[in-house]
Amino acid sequence: MALLEVNNLSTHIAISSGSVQAVDGVSFHLEAGETLGLVGESGCGKSMTGLSLMRLLPPGGQLVGGSSVKLSGRELVDLPESEMRKIRGNEIAMVFQDPMSSLDPTKTIGYQVSEPVMLHRGASKAEALDRAAEVLGLVGLPKPKERLGDYPHQLSGGLRQRVMIAMALACEPKVLIADEPTTALDVTIQAQILTLLNDLKDRLGMAMILVTHDMGVVAGHADRINVMYAGRIVESTKTDELFSDMRHPYTQGLLASIPRLAQDNTQKLFTVPGLPPDLSNPPTGCRFAARCSYAQDDCRTEDPGLKGPKEHTFACFHPVDGPLDLTSSTTVADRSAPAAKEKRPLLEVTDLVKEFPVGGNLFGRNKAVVHAVSGVSLSLGYGETFGLVGESGCGKTTLGRMIVGLEKPNAGQVTLDGAQVGSLRGKALRRHRRDLQMMFQDPHASLDPRMRVGSILREPLQIQGIGTAQEQLSLVTDLLGEVGLPKSALERFPHEFSGGQRQRIGLARALTLHPKVIVADEPVSALDVSIRAQVLNLMKRLQASHDLSYVVISHDLAVVKYLADRIGVMYLGKMVEVGSGEDIYQRAAHPYTAGLLEAIPVPEPELEREKRGGGIKGELPSPVAPPSGCRFRTRCPLAQERCAEEEPAMRLFGDGHVAACHFPLQTPVSDTPVTVATPAGEAV
Amino acid sequence: MAGYLIRRLTTAILVVFGIILVTFLMLHIIAPSPAITVLGPKAQPAAIKAWNHANGFDKPWWDQFATYLGHLFQGNLGYSYHLNQSVSALLTEKAPLSGLLTIASLVLSILVALPLGIYQGVKRNSFGDITATSLAMIFYSMPTFLVALVLVQVFALSLKWVNPNVPQDQTLSGALAGWPDLIMPIVALTLTAVASYSRYQRSAALDVLAQDYIKVARAKGLSERLVYSRHLVRNASLPMITLIGLSLPLLIAGNLLVEYTFNINGLGLLFVNSLQGYDYNVLMAYTLITAVLTVVGNLIADICLTLSDPRIKLV
Ligand SMILES: Nc1ncnc2c1ncn2[C@@H]1O[C@H](COP(=O)(O)OP(=O)(O)OP(=O)(O)O)[C@@H](O)[C@H]1O
Ligand code: SF4
Ligand code: SF4
Ligand SMILES: [Mg+2]
Repeated sequence: MALLEVNNLSTHIAISSGSVQAVDGVSFHLEAGETLGLVGESGCGKSMTGLSLMRLLPPGGQLVGGSSVKLSGRELVDLPESEMRKIRGNEIAMVFQDPMSSLDPTKTIGYQVSEPVMLHRGASKAEALDRAAEVLGLVGLPKPKERLGDYPHQLSGGLRQRVMIAMALACEPKVLIADEPTTALDVTIQAQILTLLNDLKDRLGMAMILVTHDMGVVAGHADRINVMYAGRIVESTKTDELFSDMRHPYTQGLLASIPRLAQDNTQKLFTVPGLPPDLSNPPTGCRFAARCSYAQDDCRTEDPGLKGPKEHTFACFHPVDGPLDLTSSTTVADRSAPAAKEKRPLLEVTDLVKEFPVGGNLFGRNKAVVHAVSGVSLSLGYGETFGLVGESGCGKTTLGRMIVGLEKPNAGQVTLDGAQVGSLRGKALRRHRRDLQMMFQDPHASLDPRMRVGSILREPLQIQGIGTAQEQLSLVTDLLGEVGLPKSALERFPHEFSGGQRQRIGLARALTLHPKVIVADEPVSALDVSIRAQVLNLMKRLQASHDLSYVVISHDLAVVKYLADRIGVMYLGKMVEVGSGEDIYQRAAHPYTAGLLEAIPVPEPELEREKRGGGIKGELPSPVAPPSGCRFRTRCPLAQERCAEEEPAMRLFGDGHVAACHFPLQTPVSDTPVTVATPAGEAV
Repeated sequence: MAGYLIRRLTTAILVVFGIILVTFLMLHIIAPSPAITVLGPKAQPAAIKAWNHANGFDKPWWDQFATYLGHLFQGNLGYSYHLNQSVSALLTEKAPLSGLLTIASLVLSILVALPLGIYQGVKRNSFGDITATSLAMIFYSMPTFLVALVLVQVFALSLKWVNPNVPQDQTLSGALAGWPDLIMPIVALTLTAVASYSRYQRSAALDVLAQDYIKVARAKGLSERLVYSRHLVRNASLPMITLIGLSLPLLIAGNLLVEYTFNINGLGLLFVNSLQGYDYNVLMAYTLITAVLTVVGNLIADICLTLSDPRIKLV
């Protein structure tokens, strides 16, 4: 008998306009000591499945008759609420996505972790606090006894997530449901937390359901995987088999559309066309049919159902056999190699510095500054793409905003086409602003919700006074066509579009003034895998047709590597390494770059399993008081005394490949410090 | 903490000083001298001039202001030419009753509004919530004196539960002896305050209920009752502290209308009457009280917030 047996679980949520079939006939089992991955794109019902197991449904939510959840043979669905409460937090526990909002800000962490112990074990306050200290130590909180009285706001995101995990584990549950436990964290912290969860699972002998949208995360940490699509499980099998011998076309498409680090970036990414169906009115038959390239008539009328041998089930009439052969099925992007560009750089950024004052008071005392960007230089050639990677808080976004002029640097220069942007005034400045445009991470927040798309796109033209209304309209309509939206979109409001479509609108808006450079800040982070590939392809196509140069900012190295000709790695306000995609990926010279690569989960089970336990230790130091010498030294495995005393200079490691480290992983070409790596490669 | 208090008090004194200055100037523009009030409408210009000279009203305004400030520092609030009494005496006479009304209605409205708002948030869109919301809307949009008039009509004139007239003995002890007669003015003030507090409390409760830590608390196995008492109430009450602190002076303003309606001889009524008679030392004193209350309310709210929210540190 399996530890957890789920049969025909269906959850419907009543909304004003009907009912959302959030989970529809989901069946699976979980053995003791096993990790089951639950993957799928946003809105496919992963979280709702987890919540349904705990019977913690949102208002209006209801388990449909016939659903069954058996924990060690005991049916949970019809337990009275008072009995169900004894299961929650005791036998089944849950860890949620956002560590920032998952802890009560007014209660100490000691109290919050001891709360379930008092509740379920009937422990006294003192006993429960002892237990809390014990579990907090288990999850790697340093000096747990002394920190019981800390409040959540005193802890970093990574530590808070550890506290969340401690809270879930306090009563040693049999099943742990981890709903996107690391999505809100940086990659280096993500790797630490995933390793922790895995160790704890083994030590406490529990079973884990790992809910995530990231195929890389499940690749390394799940024994079996359920792939969900539109409220149903479409494929379920062992991790290795899923990646190497998937049978469902959706699984195949999902895996094919993820940009890989080893990807040839002259090739178009594979895309799954269209969008997932609306779950308040799902189609009959196979729910994937509208997007499936193997679909036939029977798919649209009959539900395929989850069938096949127990160790590998899938819901498809016309299954595929293993992964797509990407070498033959993808077409080379119609983009000329960036070699044909001019020698002179288009954009040059020299020693930019930005410091934000924090704290301080009315009388100007106690002022501290955040060293957001501390002397960063880069250059961008015509038609080139420069990628910026680094963890949150490393200054990527601030650098991008300074480049387009949204933020004024405290020191340093931005030179575009030979003119110093900082010294321009009035008309010349306005003219220059047109050449530098920004594309934002969250297209929802950056598009005015009260304006129609037509007005949003025409606004920059109106401000700059370009063309008659008629000309503006036709230009805007052309642009919409280019980003793949119908003309009717002009009359609609931003909220009437999906995330991917809004990002297309954002791109169209950035293009209206025919800029030379677009700074794209996390252009695809808010998008699902299948939509992400569509937008990435579009960005590449437009680059070729509009002669654009991009600065692409992302925490996702694979995305940056796919788009960029050269990549800069930032750490705590400093550029630590710059090089081509291959330099960074295969010949990283800086220990931080290497650690970052190690930490990024890739959708390849074998590689991922080997990596367990590796990666960068510790947390990002405060940018208010960055470490002396090399800023990475507090987390660097190679750090020596010299690193604390002397700031490492940029040295050349190859054609256009520079890094700042005293004890690099590669041998430098020369020991003379260089300043900026030019697009053509030679140091200036 | 001590440093914080010193800085806050310095700012507070500056603010109060600014308010006094502005009020003083405005009064001087509207009515440069109380001579007419004292000497009567038929007074000769010469007599007015002489009176002004005798009482310092012909000096430049900054001189007059300096004199006023000097007196203020000695605790002397000036003289009401209208009522022929010193302002301090007037205040000592009238403030206790007004203070009683304000404090009683403040305490009552907090006692009612906080639980009510939380209940409404928890039972969102239930019959009780909708009823409470509708009532709150009605009382919120109704001016306080109208509420008072309705109360008089219903409970005093129709049902005859209470006496429509407020006790004429308006010293504090006298009023307390006849306390049932104070019920209606207090209820009128409370209703208006509850209407606005409970709206805020409801939305604060809804905000907290949408937080992940509530979901986490349920996932721990806590019963709904414990989820609310341990994780909802405190968090949802935090925003109310500032709101209540800021509304202290508003309550005083509400007093004004209620005192007027019930003919209670308190500060509010004094203010209304002095407005009509350009009784300016009284007006100055009233403004001063409001300004001090605003600043003090704010300060108290900040301190309470620090004591109850670990995220906030007074530095
Ligand atoms: N409170 C709610 N009321 C109505 N519908 C809801 C509610 N919560 C979720 N849904 C719907 O239920 C479906 C499944 O949602 P769920 O949160 O389980 O998705 P998910 O797979 O976890 O997505 P994500 O990756 O974005 O977390 C979606 O269609 C969603 O719109
Ligand atoms: S059943 Fe048909 S439509 Fe659905 S995935 Fe299989 S082939 Fe595609
Ligand atoms: S300079 Fe020292 S601390 Fe910095 S990355 Fe290199 S080895 Fe590590
Ligand atoms: Mg989810």
